[in-house]
Amino acid sequence: MSGEHDEHHHPSAWGPHHWDHGAPHNSWAPLMMSIGFGIFLFMLASAFNNDVVDASYIPLVMVGLLVVLFGLIIWWRQDMSFDGTYEPMSTGTPFKNIQIRKVGMWVFLMSEMMVFTSLFSTYIRYRTGIENCQTVFERGDWVEQGYTLETGEALICFEPASHLIASSWWHIAPGAINTFALIVSSFTIVQALRYASKPVGEIDENRRKKLVTRYLGSTWLLAIIFLTLKMVEWFIGFYVPEISFLGIHEHDIKSLVAEGYMINADHYHHHDWVDPVTGATMLADISVGASTFYVTTGTHGVHVFGGIVGLTYMTLKASRGGYTPKNAVSIEYFGLYWHFVDLVWVIVFPFFYLY
Amino acid sequence: MGEHKTIMGKDLYWMNFFGLMILTLIEVAAVGLDLSPETTGLSYTEKELTLFILVGIGLPKFIMIAAIFMHLWGDEDSKILTLTALFPAFFIIVMILFIGLTHPEATTGLPEWCRPGFYN
Repeated sequence: MSGEHDEHHHPSAWGPHHWDHGAPHNSWAPLMMSIGFGIFLFMLASAFNNDVVDASYIPLVMVGLLVVLFGLIIWWRQDMSFDGTYEPMSTGTPFKNIQIRKVGMWVFLMSEMMVFTSLFSTYIRYRTGIENCQTVFERGDWVEQGYTLETGEALICFEPASHLIASSWWHIAPGAINTFALIVSSFTIVQALRYASKPVGEIDENRRKKLVTRYLGSTWLLAIIFLTLKMVEWFIGFYVPEISFLGIHEHDIKSLVAEGYMINADHYHHHDWVDPVTGATMLADISVGASTFYVTTGTHGVHVFGGIVGLTYMTLKASRGGYTPKNAVSIEYFGLYWHFVDLVWVIVFPFFYLY
Repeated sequence: MGEHKTIMGKDLYWMNFFGLMILTLIEVAAVGLDLSPETTGLSYTEKELTLFILVGIGLPKFIMIAAIFMHLWGDEDSKILTLTALFPAFFIIVMILFIGLTHPEATTGLPEWCRPGFYN
């Protein structure tokens, strides 16, 4: 390993890089990615202009994405020391002598916190600012005001997803299993790191390969389970069979979409919203509550998907014995991202699913 | 990743993992179980009690993941990285403040000196 930069060597701006000469100092990747993002955003805005979709711009949107992808690949080839030969260190205050990738990951997580904070603050704002649908229903004045199924007039109120999800143990089940899946996956990723970073000689190399692959693979599987259950909860629903000795009767658990809980639900009625005296059913516009739910949990889901992509690569690499104490930090840095995904869920689950 | 740490002689990660599992079980139980008998004679509703329990459990879970799994506790770089992680806290406070100020009751419920149009 050489931390010194060789002044007489001019590494390629396209990569891969000879790490014996120190870190690369020139790259076309940021410029390419900026141009790619520019094409992508400009064409996307042109394609969806004033509620009119102009499909002729879609190929150019794809071109923009391809340029970004190409820039990313170059950056990746150039900047990553895949075998851990060289781990660039930060030189400036306040991160001096901390690995650049570690600092970069924390700064990235900092920006991620801002993204989720804006989503949470939106949720808090709407949840506190718009009257809860159940409260409106229990007050009963909606009957006189004519917000009923019969009149077709809907009142705007906030319907939290938890009204449907926390209504029974069966409805909570997918979200609760997902919570446990993420906690277990946070544990499996630290176990993968533990075995990858064990000093040479302390562990047999075949056993290291097997254990790191097993733990990374388990994390991958748990992430897949997470997204599958999310699909079940959102779109598919599930069937509960008759288990007479437990007193469980055969029934279907509807998905949120099948219950009518959708971002465009401006004429929604919950099955319990029936006035016992008049028999009228309350009709509500719940699009704000549903949007905050789907956007927040969907953004989290996209992060889980991103983790699956990373884990697929890492598991394959581990299965070829790609992780040693020299480059185990890569698992640590990915782990930071993965724990952050878990951390966000710690907040999302109680406030969007339970309360 | 620092040296191998333990809590009460047990592996730190295992202990953290079990702790998180138990806290999550309590969280789910708090929502699934009928807590209305617990609120009789008290000044708050079952819903408020549930919220209190969820926040009370969410905070330690958050800290346990960040401190132990994300190595913000006990590592040589912990201090500066914790400060980095806490940096958005300032913006979070600003956002929550703005939420308060844009609340429908903000113009009537706040003291006069911080309502719009008060310049003395």
